[in-house]
Amino acid sequence: MRALSVTGLVKTFREKSGDVHALGPVSIDVPQGSFLCVLGPTGCGKTTLLRTIAGLEIPDSGSVELMIRTNGRQPVVGYVFQQGALFPWMSIYANVEFPLSARGNIDRITRRQRVEAILDMVGLSDFSSSYPHQLSGGMQQRAALARSLVMQPDILLLDEPFSSLDTRTSQDLQENLRNTWKEAATTVVFVTHSIEEAVYLAGEVVVLGHRPGRIVRRQTIDLPDPRSRLSPEFTEYLVSLRRTFEELVEEPE
Amino acid sequence: MKNRLPGLIIPLLLLLWWILITGEGSDTLLPSPAEVFSILVHPFRDQISTGSLIWSMTVSLVRITLGFSLAVTIGIPIGLMMGASTHVRKFLSLMIEMARPLSAIALLPLSIILFKSETLSQFLGMSYLRYQKHLLNEMQLGMIFILFWGGVFPIILGTIQGVRSVRKLHLEAAKVLGARKTFVFRHVMIPSALPDIFHGLKLGIGRCWMVIIAAEMLPGTNSGIGYLIRYSYQLSRYDIMLACLVIVAIIGAFFSKGLEALGEKSLVLRSRER
Ligand SMILES: Nc1ncnc2c1ncn2[C@@H]1O[C@H](COP(=O)(O)OP(=O)(O)O)[C@@H](O)[C@H]1O
Ligand SMILES: [Mg+2]
Repeated sequence: MRALSVTGLVKTFREKSGDVHALGPVSIDVPQGSFLCVLGPTGCGKTTLLRTIAGLEIPDSGSVELMIRTNGRQPVVGYVFQQGALFPWMSIYANVEFPLSARGNIDRITRRQRVEAILDMVGLSDFSSSYPHQLSGGMQQRAALARSLVMQPDILLLDEPFSSLDTRTSQDLQENLRNTWKEAATTVVFVTHSIEEAVYLAGEVVVLGHRPGRIVRRQTIDLPDPRSRLSPEFTEYLVSLRRTFEELVEEPE
Repeated sequence: MKNRLPGLIIPLLLLLWWILITGEGSDTLLPSPAEVFSILVHPFRDQISTGSLIWSMTVSLVRITLGFSLAVTIGIPIGLMMGASTHVRKFLSLMIEMARPLSAIALLPLSIILFKSETLSQFLGMSYLRYQKHLLNEMQLGMIFILFWGGVFPIILGTIQGVRSVRKLHLEAAKVLGARKTFVFRHVMIPSALPDIFHGLKLGIGRCWMVIIAAEMLPGTNSGIGYLIRYSYQLSRYDIMLACLVIVAIIGAFFSKGLEALGEKSLVLRSRER
């Protein structure tokens, strides 16, 4: 069963200096409950793809269809920005509560329970009254993740959320995210330029070529949990995807 | 090391002033600092039959509070609307740019025509106050209008600037988190705009202190610190005049600094993003 279907998506930015054909055509089917990684070099249109799925950009052509079965209610889409995008004037608690208060149909007590549960899950309970600038980069990204997870999204879109963190923190958060995904049984689309991150996280990897991003390879990652970055199978996927990466050629404009 | 220059300027000016008036062959009309000081240390003494300095200050303070409050309650909503909507901004900005250069002095005749010498007590139908010495009798509508005029433009411009400086990233975050327009306005736009709004308020209250002199030039006025400056000048009581200038300077700075401190916290939070 599909959660999301992207068909023939094309996006061109019209700039004064000329048109930038950023993406596509791209077609992807995302099965419900899957963990899909979109992997591609910087500037290939990954962010553009994700933003279009989230409705932040309007595509030139093609369509995005959410097909999640939600028993009649609107499907909830979570989105985590590359730079966190926490509201600096709100405490961590208020940031995480934001999507619940914004909906306006959840009572205060339920809100409190859900926010506290999520903060506990991402290990930020002790920082609920801190402000974003008082936290480290890794904690900020966890808070941003919590703010999306608290909505109990049917599908979660993440745009290189860990790319600005050091390796150690990034790996911790990857493990965290994969566990969360398994527990919450949600659908995840994760964008990254890091091959290792993709192999660690994904059930399936979709590789985009240089701009304008088009799919050059789809690869199922069949590794048992917990995944070890040192296992031979892991390395095999890594090398194989690296080869694909190096064969990518930049098209002349 | 902390910069000590600002603290030194005031003693230096006092010294300069003292040298100027005591200097050999000085024929200045300026009173000495000591004379001015002796006025300031008797705030409850009647000065040239206008009441005490405290009374003059109170009258001016209440006038400014009224005018400024009006400027805030009208300026902020206008600024918010102009900041949030291109249509409203286009519609109003020409008008505002035309109105803005009209100084408070230029508006004196207009405010006389508009409001005659009606006071707040008359306006509120409290005519029984007429023969009493009551604050409301000192609040001429024309004055409040001039003070409002002086304060409102920096407030509008600051608010517009604030709303327009909202980061696109935060608007998009609010959108993907499911917030509707009014919620975004209340919880994203306004907090983002606060530092600039406070800056506008600070400039606005400063402007009010500048135009109080003009406002208190309205015919029929016989109270207030601005009036006292003019009246003491006419009577050549420069000691009182200078004392009033000192008071205006101090209270004005106090107000600006107060608003600055209020704005500081919101500014810190907005600018400390990574
Ligand atoms: N708003 C925009 N206006 C103009 N060009 C853009 C805009 N957003 C992205 N682009 C261009 O589209 C291409 C793809 O960008 P992006 O989707 O951000 O790539 P990625 O996320 O893979 O690094 C880049 O060349 C970028 O400069
Ligand atoms: Mg990107």
